[in-house]
Amino acid sequence: MRDRSVQLLRAAAFAALSAVPALAQAPADRLADRLVKARQIVVAPDTVLTGSSVLVRAGKIAYVGDEIPAEARARAKVVDYGDAMLVPGFVLAYSTLGQDGDLAENAYPFTPDLLVAEGVDLWHDELERLPRSGVASAAVAPSERQLAGGIAALVKPGADGGSVAASDLFLGLSLTRNARSQDRPPTSLMGALDMARQAFGDAKTGVRTGADLAVLRQTLEGSRKVFVRADARREIVAALDLAKEFGLQVVVVGGTEAGELVERLAAQKVGLVLGTLTPEAKLENLELPARLAKAGVPFAFAGQPEQLRLTAALAVKHGLDRRLALAALTRTPATLLGLQNEIGSLRQGASADFVVFSGDPIDLGSRHLATWIGGERRSGADAAGGL
Amino acid sequence: MQLRSELLSKLLAAAVAAALHLVATAQDGTVVYQGARILPGGKPAIEQGVLIVSGGKILAVGGPATKIPDGAKVVDVAGRTITPGLIDASFAGAIGDEDANEQSSEVTPHLRAFDSIDLQRDAVRNARAAGVTTVHAMPGTSNVIGGLGCVVKTRDTKDGPTLLADEVSLRITMGSDPSRGNRAIRGGRVDSMYYRRPTTRMGVVWEVRKAFYDAKEALERTAAAGPQGGDAATEVLTKVLQGKLVAYTTARSEQDIRTALRLAEEFGYKTVLDEAQDAHVAIDEIAAAKVTVLLGAPSAENVVGRGGGDGSQPRFHTVALLAQRNVPFVVTTGTNAAALDLVREAMFAVRFGLTAEQALDAVTIRPAQLLGIDQRVGSLAAGKDADFVVWSHDPLDPAAVAESVHIDGISVLASR
Repeated sequence: MRDRSVQLLRAAAFAALSAVPALAQAPADRLADRLVKARQIVVAPDTVLTGSSVLVRAGKIAYVGDEIPAEARARAKVVDYGDAMLVPGFVLAYSTLGQDGDLAENAYPFTPDLLVAEGVDLWHDELERLPRSGVASAAVAPSERQLAGGIAALVKPGADGGSVAASDLFLGLSLTRNARSQDRPPTSLMGALDMARQAFGDAKTGVRTGADLAVLRQTLEGSRKVFVRADARREIVAALDLAKEFGLQVVVVGGTEAGELVERLAAQKVGLVLGTLTPEAKLENLELPARLAKAGVPFAFAGQPEQLRLTAALAVKHGLDRRLALAALTRTPATLLGLQNEIGSLRQGASADFVVFSGDPIDLGSRHLATWIGGERRSGADAAGGL
Repeated sequence: MQLRSELLSKLLAAAVAAALHLVATAQDGTVVYQGARILPGGKPAIEQGVLIVSGGKILAVGGPATKIPDGAKVVDVAGRTITPGLIDASFAGAIGDEDANEQSSEVTPHLRAFDSIDLQRDAVRNARAAGVTTVHAMPGTSNVIGGLGCVVKTRDTKDGPTLLADEVSLRITMGSDPSRGNRAIRGGRVDSMYYRRPTTRMGVVWEVRKAFYDAKEALERTAAAGPQGGDAATEVLTKVLQGKLVAYTTARSEQDIRTALRLAEEFGYKTVLDEAQDAHVAIDEIAAAKVTVLLGAPSAENVVGRGGGDGSQPRFHTVALLAQRNVPFVVTTGTNAAALDLVREAMFAVRFGLTAEQALDAVTIRPAQLLGIDQRVGSLAAGKDADFVVWSHDPLDPAAVAESVHIDGISVLASR
């Protein structure tokens, strides 16, 4: 009862707050079509338009380049970024946005039926800072301290507080050391795997039912993906074994020691979400993206939002194709989440999320000019000369 | 001067290792190791022997007259000694301390050590470099009934560890290890899973007796009314009662050894005595019970066990006494942090009264037979896995180093 009233209060507060900017601007102007121009527009990593534009309508990409009808073009408000380069908004396929403590129901290690969407803080500073790093969407996962933490949500930064765009993404599992505690089961990797096998086994045979097992059944049927935090080689092998044993659609998150398992990842068609890189990282980690690309293993970058571009640049420096580096920030994470039609590209019908740089974002000398999310500017200038 | 010759011999060893590696990487081709003294395990030594390896298996072992296949690569190992890859029948180094024990319960028979094994650990790399190619890994000693042991090769592959035998043993621990860390409830709130039995040696025995008593009752119910559909833990204990699975009871002090034998007799299950440091005190009972003894680290002067309070008195001559009384035994490194390389432990066993052959068998063919893997490893014979070590000297010579170690025909020393 109390929860309910808090929710209502929150909703009222949110409505009041969001009403203020709407009143300050003329509503018609705010909702008008935008024709966004730039010298280069990266619709998808291998589709680049030169001297072109996109038409933004009601928060979505309505038309791209030559497909824009002349009439719509004439009526739209023009935003011209001149010589800049426009790329799809970055997608974090896995994050906790600094909210780890609030996204772990600590006393129980196996809580697959908890919803991150119901615990995430949409006013958190880290969420507010995402547009500055070019991030337009972030999948917020349950804490890696839980063996099965719950169901991840897609969160987008907004003008005043973020919003939950999807509340039923992947099931988050964790096989890392953090998921084992000396205070509650499991305390060991073998205990963790036994617990997981028992639960998935019960879901498979149907000897036990309940909301928690219903979620596991979705993963067995393939209607819900499973993102598994695993760093050590033994943990990654365990994740791959579970995937095989129960026919799960697994994405490995972390993968620090994935280097020697590239072939097996490729054979099992398992994707990876890699942490951000720094120049002093181990050579095997710096070279891993290029090796994964060569083997055809899909991978995305996540981790520190401020270091995403640095990570992509370092991966390129160590042999990764430039387009694939950009894909690892945009299209691939969207695909791993199963949201490739909604985010991660500037195709028709996708959310109007894009980032504007003075040049190629993989070139660290390029300046970040603006980030647009859902057709609205969330950071930077409204045009090239605006700064 | 001495330093220099050491350096020279190290360089030489490295050069030989590199050469062997080059040859051995031609995985599918046939490779012949010629001229070494071969100690095949369980059989007499072969002078100027020939070992032929192909596709990860041994093609032939024999004297200088052995026919060498056409087109085979020949590696000259004259002056060296070749033995089977060593087998450590109780190796604690493959699992980190925390992952070895599932502390949420005192009795976890169904947990599998295999799930916690990590062959990337330094201890595994060191053992491999010292000629150990196969290990028996069991859960740790913090639980009364810890779980299922398995046998793996020490070479990691892209599919994870190579299993030679899964669920071959059930570890039971006597003494002070399992009771450490548990707390008695003395008023107040029960707010930790460590408020539980056992906190004493009798409590440890009670846990074992209760577990097997319950399993026995479950068996009787099944016999009377057909399968009852028990849990995984009971299933494992039932297997032990039916003689389908061997218990490995870690019992160091005389008191614990006697208790381990009594429990096995009481419930009629088969057990191996692990780390029986005080075996010399209870030698008559051990001989009468016809159990195999795993002798953890014969070189150790210290008492093993986390508590250090098990009151055992290691004696160097224990190993020779076991041989003398015809008690089957195997030399291992076990949980003793002071244990030397397995080959050095065998060397110590010789120093204290074993013959060289007995000592080498105690780290090759005997553990293979005990673990039921002697069809594949533990000796050098046609058809067995190509797991072998090329030693610079006789392996029981203190100067001996493993110049190359091969698992399934692949050189594992030079591969990193």
